[in-house]
Amino acid sequence: MDTRRPVTPTASGHYAYSADAATATISPEGVVMGWSEGARRLLGHGAAEVVGRPAADLIVPAEGAGPAGFSLIDLRDSPELSGTAALRHRDGHSVEVALRAYPSLDGEGEVQAYVVTATTIATATSADSPNSSAPSLLEWSHAQSPLAMSLFTSGPQGWRLDEASSGEPPGEAAEKSFLRLVAQVADEGRPMRYERTAPGPFSSRQQAWFTEMWPVRDPDTGEVCGVGTATFDSSEEHWARQRLALLNEAGARIGTTLNVSRTAQELADLAVPRLADFVSVDLLDSVLKGREPAPGPLDSAVRLRRVAHQSTYEGVPEAAVAIGMQDAYPPFSPPARALATGKPLLSGLDDPDYLRWVGEDGRRIERVRRFGFHSVMATPLRARGITLGVMFLARREGSKPFQLDDLVLAEELAGRAAVGMDNARRYTRERTNALTLQRSLLPRDLPKQAAVEVAYRYLPAGSGAGVGGDWFDVVPLSGTRVALVVGDVVGHGLHASATMGRLRTAVRTLADVDLPPDELLTHLDDLVTHLTWNNETFPDQVEMPYAGEIGATCLYAVYDPVSRVCTIASAGHPPPAVVYPDGAVSVVRLSPGPLLGVGGLPFEATEVELPEGSLLAFYTDGLIEARDHDIGIGMDRLCEALASPVPSLEGACDTVLKALLPDPETPADDVALLLARTRALHTDQVAAWSLPSDPAIVADARAQASRQLALWGLEEAAYVTELVVSELVTNAIRYGAVPIGLRLIRDRTLICEVSDASSTAPHLRRARAYDEGGRGLHMVAQLTQGWGTRQTATGKTIWTEQPLPANSR
Amino acid sequence: MTSPPPPTPASPATAPAAGRGGSESRGGGAEGGGTPAAGGGGTRTLGLVYPPAGRGRDYTGMQLAFVGGVAESATTYDYDLLLSPAERAGDASFQRMVDGGRVDGVIVMEIKLEDDRVEYLARSGFPFVTIGRNSRAEETSWVDLDFAGLARGCVYHLADLGHRRIAFVNRSEQLFRSGYGFAHLGLEGYTKAMAEQVLTPHAYLCDDEVTAGEAVLERILLDDPATTSLVTMNEAALEGLYRGLTRHGRRVPRDFSVVGVAAGRWAEQVDPQLTAAEIPAKEMSRVAVELMMRRLDEPEAPPRHVLLKPLISLRESTGPCRPVPGSEPEQEFPDLDQFPDLPDLPGSDF
Repeated sequence: MDTRRPVTPTASGHYAYSADAATATISPEGVVMGWSEGARRLLGHGAAEVVGRPAADLIVPAEGAGPAGFSLIDLRDSPELSGTAALRHRDGHSVEVALRAYPSLDGEGEVQAYVVTATTIATATSADSPNSSAPSLLEWSHAQSPLAMSLFTSGPQGWRLDEASSGEPPGEAAEKSFLRLVAQVADEGRPMRYERTAPGPFSSRQQAWFTEMWPVRDPDTGEVCGVGTATFDSSEEHWARQRLALLNEAGARIGTTLNVSRTAQELADLAVPRLADFVSVDLLDSVLKGREPAPGPLDSAVRLRRVAHQSTYEGVPEAAVAIGMQDAYPPFSPPARALATGKPLLSGLDDPDYLRWVGEDGRRIERVRRFGFHSVMATPLRARGITLGVMFLARREGSKPFQLDDLVLAEELAGRAAVGMDNARRYTRERTNALTLQRSLLPRDLPKQAAVEVAYRYLPAGSGAGVGGDWFDVVPLSGTRVALVVGDVVGHGLHASATMGRLRTAVRTLADVDLPPDELLTHLDDLVTHLTWNNETFPDQVEMPYAGEIGATCLYAVYDPVSRVCTIASAGHPPPAVVYPDGAVSVVRLSPGPLLGVGGLPFEATEVELPEGSLLAFYTDGLIEARDHDIGIGMDRLCEALASPVPSLEGACDTVLKALLPDPETPADDVALLLARTRALHTDQVAAWSLPSDPAIVADARAQASRQLALWGLEEAAYVTELVVSELVTNAIRYGAVPIGLRLIRDRTLICEVSDASSTAPHLRRARAYDEGGRGLHMVAQLTQGWGTRQTATGKTIWTEQPLPANSR
Repeated sequence: MTSPPPPTPASPATAPAAGRGGSESRGGGAEGGGTPAAGGGGTRTLGLVYPPAGRGRDYTGMQLAFVGGVAESATTYDYDLLLSPAERAGDASFQRMVDGGRVDGVIVMEIKLEDDRVEYLARSGFPFVTIGRNSRAEETSWVDLDFAGLARGCVYHLADLGHRRIAFVNRSEQLFRSGYGFAHLGLEGYTKAMAEQVLTPHAYLCDDEVTAGEAVLERILLDDPATTSLVTMNEAALEGLYRGLTRHGRRVPRDFSVVGVAAGRWAEQVDPQLTAAEIPAKEMSRVAVELMMRRLDEPEAPPRHVLLKPLISLRESTGPCRPVPGSEPEQEFPDLDQFPDLPDLPGSDF
């Protein structure tokens, strides 16, 4: 213990005055310096409790300006003083005494101390009687017993203390409530235990007493003829129980969430006001970010971030650091010392380091002065061998200084809270990792495309559930079409995120091959089936789902702005909603399809023709499912929210989230929302022609393309386009099948497509030179920005893209 | 520019005549003004001879597109445009324009197979270009659409979609008889293409109006109820054709395909939009003015011909053939060619 208070070992030295006399020495400043055994017997306080305390604490304040007023202040003026005063007994009742004070002078005649003797007024007479008759050894033992033994007898006025046979009476011996208990014991003839508490004189802790009460029977008749009581001081036990209760409460109230800051705040809330008037919790930054702090004690110079504080005053005016702010703690400051040593410490105004710390800090000295912080504690927050931060506790003017017990309690509390914080930190780390993974797997900037205008929201689930496997995607396809994807891997956590990433990549790859939606889902289904099988090779201790346990849904839609047709296929995913330009809202009727990974069941594509400016809403079940309603209601709410007019897509996203999620900050499940407003390419941007399978048509096709480009003001692109048209049309006529079509699209790029009814060119993938026809394609590849093939319902399409001439963009 | 046919050498008889004919025609000008210059005489004006085709002697939208196109192109060469509705050489308006020396050259439209305006201009040696061509095609400068090729392309487009019963709806009997080139060329192309596809042609003449279209469709379905498609060059009757199809419960393009030759904008305004070869009015106008300029600059040069062959623009009125139920022989057995992996049946050796 680090109290640094001089304990003057003079308790025994003052027996010289009188064994019986209650004597104390008091310094000129009014602090008790010596305490006689007589004083202990008179007032119940032991020397160790009183010495070093202001003597004024012992005096019961006089009511009004009574004649008994005895002030030690007066001692300075008169060399000798006498008077009466009411002093506080350790058990709370007041004792009327006559006081006499003598100054004790040193060699130079300066007052060194005052010697004060007290004699009881009330007990003076009764104290005489046992003294006058020769006391028996038993009586002495009785009188000096630490147990206050009393006997109550029944008389005309009911139960009364039998003063002749009682020692020091308990303070409340005469109180009616106590006498009622005595009567009860007598009536029932059964012993009883009774506990009483009262505020202690020197600390904020309460004092407590146990009183054992038992009926005294006549051994012959068995009749109850009295009630015996024995009262003993149970303050230590009481404090221990209080501590236990506080710690018990700490177990229940600290660490209710997996949130570091919240846990810190719970600690601060619990410690105020029962342990301190002001508490702050400061943590290392690494802890808040979920990272591993350096193990063991930290170096002395330390920067900490304020995470929580609490005070008995509203608004915590004592705090020198705002929550969330960082502050540096010099190595000699109590918090830094606690961190460095890894041990709790007690400090206060008598600690030069504490004074230096607050003195060097303008904000702190101002607060220490204003609130009178005189006693402080600093406790490191340590769990599993690592230091997370420090808890700082302070008591204000008017509160008693911290005791060693308080320090132990603070350490205990800090230990419990630290484990909770460390758990939260570890959870934060896991969650951050999973979120990072998920974020890295989700699209950051959606690719530019002209088919739809999109806005999206992705909300990870609130704490507790862990990150989920929701995803969405926008994949530009050839011919200005666009694929809109939304999917959901069942479950939460890293595994769900990782599976989501794999599926998203797979969808992108399959979309790149330009598979139609139903076929794409079939491939994806195969993939999921394989993924599940592969999982069996994981070691047993790695918790992986067994075959068939990857549950995932996916919705894949392809929108073609030329035909304005959206082709949608679903693998167990909720269908999209459509808002038509006239404001009508409906949910697309889809064949829901089996979940991915079930295998063997067909997926069905549905075609919807959409007027230009329709709004498609894709989402995951987290949006429409909630604890308080089922999916049907969720869908209705979604349609309602979509129907309300909003100026922008972003606004529509917000409206939808607000309408469907009770708490958009922390949804119960992951939520992905993708809104797409369709655009349409009109005849001024698209031209398509049918070509007979006749080599003579090649020249006409070139001419037509050239005419079209002239119409679009893209003459500069004519040369390359004519070459491309020649090459592709010739190939189609030579190797393909009728009907053959040529299409030019002028969008962000100039797209030239030649389609035919033969699907036998799937191997002509990008930029691979082939012996036959490959040379022409090689040339096409060189001249254009990109080219590729895609399978269509009626055959295949070979497409090329060229940048628009600079002057027409 | 599309591939023009190789320039035909001008016949020795006409080519020199063109150069000198100017003076001759001047003499023929009966009550012309005092303007002396005929044929590059510096009026900085071109004549456009274009009889209105509308029923009330008004210009159709298509025609207005040509008029606008010619005017715009002429402006780029700093020429003004004088419009005459003359159908014949004897029309006063034609006489005023040509013999009166009001223009440096004329562009003649709505050319018939035998056209006295062309005869007159060729004889007089007055500089002229025709949009459309006739029997004198070798001797004159012209720009034209390959109507035969277009009609053929339409047939091939339908055949490529699997159609086998393809009807042809031509312009009116009156136009056909008066010798409009495109009506004859269209029929020629259709008939030839059907022969190439080994199909039976069914060609119909149809007045340029909606009710006539409805009537013709009735006849088509009467003649062959299994008809699944038609080619039309008659814009004015199209609405009637659509109506007739609707009345017969034939949905376009699911049950019946229609392909035509039409001006682009008009084809987009019917429902469903017509898959059609577009008449590139603007380009034809531009080419005509270019040919005119060349003729004025180099009077001795051989006449030039430009034959445009626009592709069929894919819109909404054609689709894969769905045979009329009962019209085609049912296939009773699966086509074994589709299952090349099937093992030979036992006993197939003999």
